[in-house]
Amino acid sequence: MRGRWLLVGVSAGALLPVIGLLLVVFWMGFWQSGPGEPVAYTLDHYRAIVTDAFTYRTMLNTLGFASTSVVISLLFAVPTAWLVERTDLPGKKWVFTLMAVSTLVPTFFTAMGWVFLLHPRIGVINRLFVDWFGLAEGPFNIATIVGMGWVEGLGLSSLAFIMVVATYRTMDPALEEAARVHGLKMWETLRHITLPLTFPGILAAAIYIFTIGLSAFEVPAIIGLSNKIFTFSTFIFYKIQPLEELPNYGVAGAVSALLIVLALLLSWWYFRILRYSSRYAVVTGKGYRPKLVELAPRARLLAWVFLGMFFLMAKVLPFLLLVWAALLNYFQPPSWAALSQVSLKNFYGLPWELLLAGTRNTILVMIMVPTLAIVLCLAISWVILRSGLKWRLAFDAAAFLPHAVPNLILAIAAVFAALFLLGNTVPLYGTLTIVIVVYTISRISFATRIINNSLAQIHPELEEAAFAGGLKMLQVMRKILIPLLKPALVYAWLWMALLCYRELTMASVLVTNQNNITLPMIVWGLWLGGRLNQAAAANIVILAFMLPAVLLYLTFGRRSRFEEAL
Amino acid sequence: MISIAGVHKCFQSGEQTVAALKGVGLAVQKGEFFVLLGPSGSGKTTLMRCVAGLEKPDAGRIDLDGETVFSADPRLYLPPEERQIGMVFQSYAIWPHMTVAENIGLVLTHGLSKIPKNQVKERIRHTLNLVQLDGFETRPARLLSGGQQQRVALARALATKPKLLLMDEPLSNLDARLREEVRTKIKRLASDLGITVLYVTHDQVEAMVLADRIAVMALGEILQVGNPYELYCRPANSLVAEFFGSINWLRGKVVEKNRVETEIGIFVVESPLPRSGGVVVGIRPEDVKVDGASASGENCFDGGLVSATFLGDQMVFEVQINDKLLTAKAMPDGAKPGGKVSVHFPMSKIVVFPEGGTGFIY
Repeated sequence: MRGRWLLVGVSAGALLPVIGLLLVVFWMGFWQSGPGEPVAYTLDHYRAIVTDAFTYRTMLNTLGFASTSVVISLLFAVPTAWLVERTDLPGKKWVFTLMAVSTLVPTFFTAMGWVFLLHPRIGVINRLFVDWFGLAEGPFNIATIVGMGWVEGLGLSSLAFIMVVATYRTMDPALEEAARVHGLKMWETLRHITLPLTFPGILAAAIYIFTIGLSAFEVPAIIGLSNKIFTFSTFIFYKIQPLEELPNYGVAGAVSALLIVLALLLSWWYFRILRYSSRYAVVTGKGYRPKLVELAPRARLLAWVFLGMFFLMAKVLPFLLLVWAALLNYFQPPSWAALSQVSLKNFYGLPWELLLAGTRNTILVMIMVPTLAIVLCLAISWVILRSGLKWRLAFDAAAFLPHAVPNLILAIAAVFAALFLLGNTVPLYGTLTIVIVVYTISRISFATRIINNSLAQIHPELEEAAFAGGLKMLQVMRKILIPLLKPALVYAWLWMALLCYRELTMASVLVTNQNNITLPMIVWGLWLGGRLNQAAAANIVILAFMLPAVLLYLTFGRRSRFEEAL
Repeated sequence: MISIAGVHKCFQSGEQTVAALKGVGLAVQKGEFFVLLGPSGSGKTTLMRCVAGLEKPDAGRIDLDGETVFSADPRLYLPPEERQIGMVFQSYAIWPHMTVAENIGLVLTHGLSKIPKNQVKERIRHTLNLVQLDGFETRPARLLSGGQQQRVALARALATKPKLLLMDEPLSNLDARLREEVRTKIKRLASDLGITVLYVTHDQVEAMVLADRIAVMALGEILQVGNPYELYCRPANSLVAEFFGSINWLRGKVVEKNRVETEIGIFVVESPLPRSGGVVVGIRPEDVKVDGASASGENCFDGGLVSATFLGDQMVFEVQINDKLLTAKAMPDGAKPGGKVSVHFPMSKIVVFPEGGTGFIY
């Protein structure tokens, strides 16, 4: 009995901070105080954002940015999913692996690559246009809403792909075959059967991507911030880390509160659509595979060109540009003259001491966060699925919150709480502990979902048999459940470790000094300081560090588990 | 109507290649109700999907109604939508985003034999009447019960008045009572319409009720083609015998032209025997005669009664002869023999196959 209450206690202990942070955000929005002044409460911040035209411009920016990324990601994801699931395209397995690896490439990385490609002044493609066609200035500008949406969309298309593939897979292929057999041509079948049936699934993916785009931080921060193009997330960030004025937590809190409400509404809509779309999902008992569409040699070539273009634009080009930039003193398009200036100077000039500290911290975070999250979420999952507690649905809802609430806002709330609530009693501000705590909280939804899915497949009688045999709760956990859940736990651990490695959004607020600096923050610091080429070099170093972890993940993680986590 | 010759089909399953069809040949007459019967993995569904054009054979030739729809050499393949067939899928494949009328209408307006727009409504009504779903036109498909979905699938397959109807285990998702009812209806409907039917099932009772002729398949090959009576009474090998009802098997070896020495004694048989070597002797339980009197004559043996079970319409006996347990069935007559019995195996009912024949399951 004691063991059970321990599990309930651990879950509550993990979930109370989640709710606490959420309350802090709403509280922040009404909070007013200057240095040395007593705290007062006010509606001024809400009044300010409602009356300020800047708010509306930011809102339009954000909506435009999120919509563009939805369109771009689906533009690549839907045809790719169809090619992989319904045609005989050779080498499909590689597409899956590449897509899985793609989701791991940090977004700030590709964002920087695209700046080197499409910056109006220094961008390689723009320079080519200027040189070849004698234009006065480059035709493209990455520092626009559409430009940033393009980069975000490319980054999210692998996630969109994984979601859309799931939709195709749950559809009974006999539904399409029935149309073909009774005389419908391929395109008629696509129009009347495949598209209408997969539409809810694609719509759900669109909403999911839109929600991510709404609170996305890295791309707007890397590309937009220096050009004063704000979305909600960079606006909030700018309010608490302004260049000239004092931090304004009140306005940040008010905007955050609005964003949270919006994100929760979208999540609710997403789950509704998902339920609607699963009405069409049929699990066929039959082992046969659907007849795959045979691609003519020309169509096959076209498909490969399409996929090649996608990977080229999404990952290869940005990577090549970063390597090129890292080798140069100042950025210039590739030429013979530039080639003679290539050197490793940027790498020598990197702040290696800082990198060393960053590496130490990052490794610590990568080990602590997944481990903590797994331990806590094991308890939470047990409470939700097995405890039979009346309050278990509340645990379920609370465990979902970190998914719906933008991570940046979680981090801001934590910083605010550390500064103004805990203060000197629990000195968390600027420590590695706060980084670990907030990262862990942000991963609770993911880990709970993964463990829930696996735990639901384990028959409760397996535990009951152990209880009947006289084992105590914690022994059952250790001897029965954890060994059975092991594949899922290993996968979740590795995935979270990788996400911690590349995390910039939360770090941008939580990391305030050299003691708790993480690797992505070093790149970010160099980039914001205008040392673009050094930032590129740091990026290459960091990516090289990440490689062993990715290989580990590919060896032990399974692709199918991706879909469960969505 | 259907003519299949030398059809091969392999599937790539991971690293290894699985042969689903190994040179299958078959001819189905016009208006015939033809059943492909076999256990799962026998290749019967693959064969049907080849006929539909949903699967492309690796070799062979398929003709439908005098027209070649597939041939490996010269290379020819007619896609499914140009083969003018109707098909009922195991999962019914009713389009869940449409109403009943839309499910049928889509086939009528986009299928090969497009009918004029103003006749679509009438044709839908007529087809629904065939399957006794009058007035179901506006019902959303996903609100139908399993039995209703099955009938809509049938209506959709029949709507364009195809000459050939393919049915892939159409009854396997219905409960037992409904299955019997629908079975009779399908049989009557097919003979009323005079349509040729190719029907896949793993249920031998279903096959016997429905079929004019049956092809028994196993491991990608056709073991025997014939009407239900032939298959039951004159199976071509032990696997076919085993597939149609239960049978007692005895190991033995040929000692003379028509005599076999088995585990329980010498059998005199009618069927021509292989010259030498091991054989198996089979006899169905209902052909084994159990009697209270003592044994005398050919194929009569003394045995002990182990159990006698009354099942209402029949008695089931377990008899033991020389440590060998055999099953016998008889009409109940109130008598319940006990202890020593005589067991008679009528010569005309005995089948003999060489040992280790096609997939023999002892």
